[in-house]
Amino acid sequence: MLTYNKNTFLNINKIIFASLDIREVYQTMSNELSKTIDFDRLTITLITEDNALYEAFVVLSKTYEYTDIKEGDLYLMKDSLMEKVVQTRSPVIVDDTANSQFATDTVLFKEGIRSRLGYPLVYKGCIMKHQKLFHIDEKKYPIEFKERIIGSINFGSKRKGYYSKKHVDFVSKFAPQLAMAIENTRLFNRIKDAEERYRRVVESSPDIIFECTNEGKFFLINPSVEKILGYSVHYFYDNHGNGLSLCHQDDQDRVQCEILQLLNGEKDSLMDFEFRVIHKQGKVVWLSLEAIPIKQDNKIIGIEGFCRDITERKKLDELKNNLIRDVTHELKTPVAKMEMAIDMYKRSFVTEKELSGEKELHLYHLLQNNVNRLKNIIRNVLDISKLESGVERLNLSDFTFVELVDQVIHELNPIAIQKNNTITHQIPPSIILNADREKIYYLLINVVGNAIKFTDHGKVDISARLTPKGIVVTVKDTGKGLSEESLKYAFDKFYKENSSAPGSGIGLAISKNIVELHNGSIWAESGGKGKGAKFIFRLPIHHL
Amino acid sequence: MKDLLIVEDDLEMQEFYRNMLNGEPFSVTYVSNGEEGLKKMKEKKYDLVILDIMMENITGDRLFALLRKDRHYKEVPVIMASSLDKETYQCFQALGKVSFLEKPFTKETLISEINKHLQTLT
Ligand SMILES: Nc1ncnc2c1ncn2[C@@H]1O[C@H](COP(=O)(O)OP(=O)(O)OP(=O)(O)O)[C@@H](O)[C@H]1O
Ligand SMILES: [Mg+2]
Repeated sequence: MLTYNKNTFLNINKIIFASLDIREVYQTMSNELSKTIDFDRLTITLITEDNALYEAFVVLSKTYEYTDIKEGDLYLMKDSLMEKVVQTRSPVIVDDTANSQFATDTVLFKEGIRSRLGYPLVYKGCIMKHQKLFHIDEKKYPIEFKERIIGSINFGSKRKGYYSKKHVDFVSKFAPQLAMAIENTRLFNRIKDAEERYRRVVESSPDIIFECTNEGKFFLINPSVEKILGYSVHYFYDNHGNGLSLCHQDDQDRVQCEILQLLNGEKDSLMDFEFRVIHKQGKVVWLSLEAIPIKQDNKIIGIEGFCRDITERKKLDELKNNLIRDVTHELKTPVAKMEMAIDMYKRSFVTEKELSGEKELHLYHLLQNNVNRLKNIIRNVLDISKLESGVERLNLSDFTFVELVDQVIHELNPIAIQKNNTITHQIPPSIILNADREKIYYLLINVVGNAIKFTDHGKVDISARLTPKGIVVTVKDTGKGLSEESLKYAFDKFYKENSSAPGSGIGLAISKNIVELHNGSIWAESGGKGKGAKFIFRLPIHHL
Repeated sequence: MKDLLIVEDDLEMQEFYRNMLNGEPFSVTYVSNGEEGLKKMKEKKYDLVILDIMMENITGDRLFALLRKDRHYKEVPVIMASSLDKETYQCFQALGKVSFLEKPFTKETLISEINKHLQTLT
């Protein structure tokens, strides 16, 4: 008999809203239901989006181990009890499945089910109360409010003509809540899926994606941050406002100012905002930031955006800009000093106050020094333009390599002595080269000249050996060595590790051109800063 | 007497400063790199600083930025000297009080530039 009271509904409602796992809800609910309403099987079926099929969502039976209708399977709506329930949006009762009123009656009859009750599940809409972690595009994932039929709950009994209005009344008291619970679960799952997809995109993005509050507390930051800055995501989640403290000292004010403008609403976005951040290991990382404010009820509560690592590009840009600047500087400085020296002479004429002998000598040296510096640059610039234009031809001849090296050492020795460097060589006298003697001479002047220039109180050694591929010459010094970056760029035109050092930065570019004109190759090795350098070039012995 | 600090890594350039400022009513300290410059400035507060820009390790512009962060040197007038024109360095004029001295310069330009700053000081 159907006996129930208020408590039964309370219990059922409590169960329905206790969990977002609908199967769990359903299990406990059916236990509760079975205390009140007699049924041998219970299904909840949900309509697919195109309204043509329905899915058996939950199938429960008290006595049957086996049933033809299986959970998760899709069945055709046509001619089913459910079709009628959906169409009429009202409960439908089957008194005896033997009459085969619906196609499904036949299946159930085989299982011994004689009477049925189908009750519509109508969703009346409610606002999803999920925790707002991400900003879901509401156009793609609408939150719906309309009244909509989503399926039916179906009871089956072995007894003929069992279900009546009493049962319908009973079911009508909890069916709307059940529909709501089911639909909430589905919406929740859909949003969870969307979030999951979004999270995967966020997690796999090479850029740093973040959301933070007004106070700079991060509530989202993806693992890229560790790759780019060396700090794990926890570092950001656990600390307040340390995004700013990681910024390069010189950029902090600028970054703070821009962010404040976003938070004040003075700007509505930041695009390609470039600034420097210090990596956990101390190196500088350039980031390009795009960000917009996060608004809630028209109030700005934080910012979200992403940062791209643009260090490589910045380095190249900077290098290019610096190269132009350095060359200009290199050309203008000697001229400036010569002008100032000439001015001093002029003043001494005008005032008829002779310069002291000491001062005069100083000015003379200064002028000579700077004329040489300019001559060197001019020659280098002309040489590299000629070499690069491709008009240079090789003027080949046979010569003894060791003789050329002796000549180079003779030329450079005075400077080496000045810097307390000793030059040695191990060149087998038997090596005869067929090459452009003048150019190879100049190549050696450049490379050995560098070795001397970048070494103090040390040694420079030149060695050569014959290999099947040609002659391999090594110029080794014990000087300041090259950083990893310098090794990468040393042969580039105008590159100098220390932009204030005298020199045009063209010497090695010329050397490289000369070697390549001979079909050879040149490269540099260094154990790092302060650990000396090795410049090695290989030249084929014979040219055709 | 006002205390001047000149940070200039080019010794020939330093010599020009010496010649021009000789006999002028300033007490001038010369150093030839940024590190030494910082050290000197820690020891004592100068009334005016002249910085060469193209120097190894700590360049003049970097040094300038560091100075402006320092409580004692926030307001101290700085003259940046370079053979490049000031357009090249326009960017850090926004950082605060700074003026340019383009090389080559004459004794008169140097002294009037220095005095301009020292006068606004008093
Ligand atoms: N033996 C070396 N030891 C350390 N660094 C070196 C050495 N040779 C070259 N370099 C680095 O490579 C840069 C480029 O060398 P390169 O010879 O092209 O120019 P430069 O010597 O500076 O000027 P120049 O045009 O007068 O030769 C140097 O400025 C220096 O930083
Ligand atoms: Mg060189």
